[in-house]
Amino acid sequence: MENSIERGQELDMSEECQACLDKIVRSNRDVILLFILRERPMCGYDLIKEIFSRYNVFLSQGTVYPILYSLEEEGVLRAEFNKGNMRSKSYSITTEGKRFTEEKFEGFIKALEYSLSLFRR
Amino acid sequence: MFRDSLKGIDRLLDTEIPEGSIILVTGAEGTLKSGLAFSLLASELKDGGHGLYATLEQTKESHLSNMLSLGVKRHEGLHIFDYQDMRLEWRDREPDMLKTTEEVLDYYSEKHGSLSLFALDSMNALYTLSDETTNLRREMYYFFDHLRDMGLTSLLIMEDSSRRGPEHFLADGVIELGLVEGADGVKRYIRIRKMRATKHRMERHQMVVDRDGISILGPIY
Repeated sequence: MENSIERGQELDMSEECQACLDKIVRSNRDVILLFILRERPMCGYDLIKEIFSRYNVFLSQGTVYPILYSLEEEGVLRAEFNKGNMRSKSYSITTEGKRFTEEKFEGFIKALEYSLSLFRR
Repeated sequence: MFRDSLKGIDRLLDTEIPEGSIILVTGAEGTLKSGLAFSLLASELKDGGHGLYATLEQTKESHLSNMLSLGVKRHEGLHIFDYQDMRLEWRDREPDMLKTTEEVLDYYSEKHGSLSLFALDSMNALYTLSDETTNLRREMYYFFDHLRDMGLTSLLIMEDSSRRGPEHFLADGVIELGLVEGADGVKRYIRIRKMRATKHRMERHQMVVDRDGISILGPIY
C-alpha cells in the first residue's frame, strides 16, 4: 500500500537520517497534521498522502484518524463533507483551535531548537 | 465488573465479572446487542475513567441517536470511533482492520492513560472487511492477546451465535441475546452461556427497554 502512493519529491537522505525523521514524524503526528491543515483543509486520505510526500513516512490509517476525531471533539478541528463528494470530509482548524495550534507549534519548535543547541555545543 | 451496571443484572450475576475479561455479545438482528454493550460501558464509566466504543457498522451520529432512543446516556469518558470516513476514503485499498483497531486502541490508551473498557461493533463487519488471504484464526489470537495485554474489559459483538469461530474458545465469556415468541407476544431475552471466574445463572432472562434504558427481569422458560 505504501508504495502505491506516489512520492511528490525524492528525498536525498541517509538511512540513519530517514530513520530519525520517521521517529520524529510518528511521535509528533498531531503537530505535523495540524501544520499541514494550517496550510489548507484536507481529508484523512490526503493528509496521509501529503505526509508521505513530504517526509517519506507512511502513517497508517489507525494512527491518523483517531487524532482527527479527537481534535474535532475538542473543538480544534472542524470536519465538513467536501462539496459534491460525500465520501470524504475535509478537516480545517477552527477559530478556537488556532491558538491551541500556535502553542503546539511553538512548543515543538522550541523543543527541537533546544535539543539541537545541545548537540551543537 | 458490571454487577451494578443495569437494573436487574444481579439476577444473572452472583459475582462480579473479572476486569480484563473478553466477552462475546451474540444474537440475531434486533436483539439489542449494540444497546447492551453501549449501556454496560456507559454505566461503568459514569463515575470516571475512559472507554472506547468502536463501530464499523454505523456512523457515530447514527449510533448515538439510536442509544438516545434507548434511554442510554453517554458519559464524557466514553469515546466513539467510527470507521466510516476511513472506509469511504480508502475504499480501493481498505486497511487491515484488526491492525487498525489495535492502533486506535493504542492511541486512546496513550491519550487518556486509563482506557479500561472496549466494545467492538461488530466482529462480523470486521471479518467482512478483512483481507481474504489473511489467516484470521491466527490474527484473532493475536488480537485477543493485544486486548489482554492492555488489560481491557472487552465486549465483542457478533451477529450469528451459531457460528463457532476461534473467538468462541478464546473469549472468557459469551452473552447470548435473543427473541422468544410466546402467547403474550415476542420478548427479548439475555442469557449468559459462559463466564469464566464468575458465578452466574444459566437461564434466559427477559430484557426490556424503558425510558431509563435496559432492565433485566425474571427468567423466561
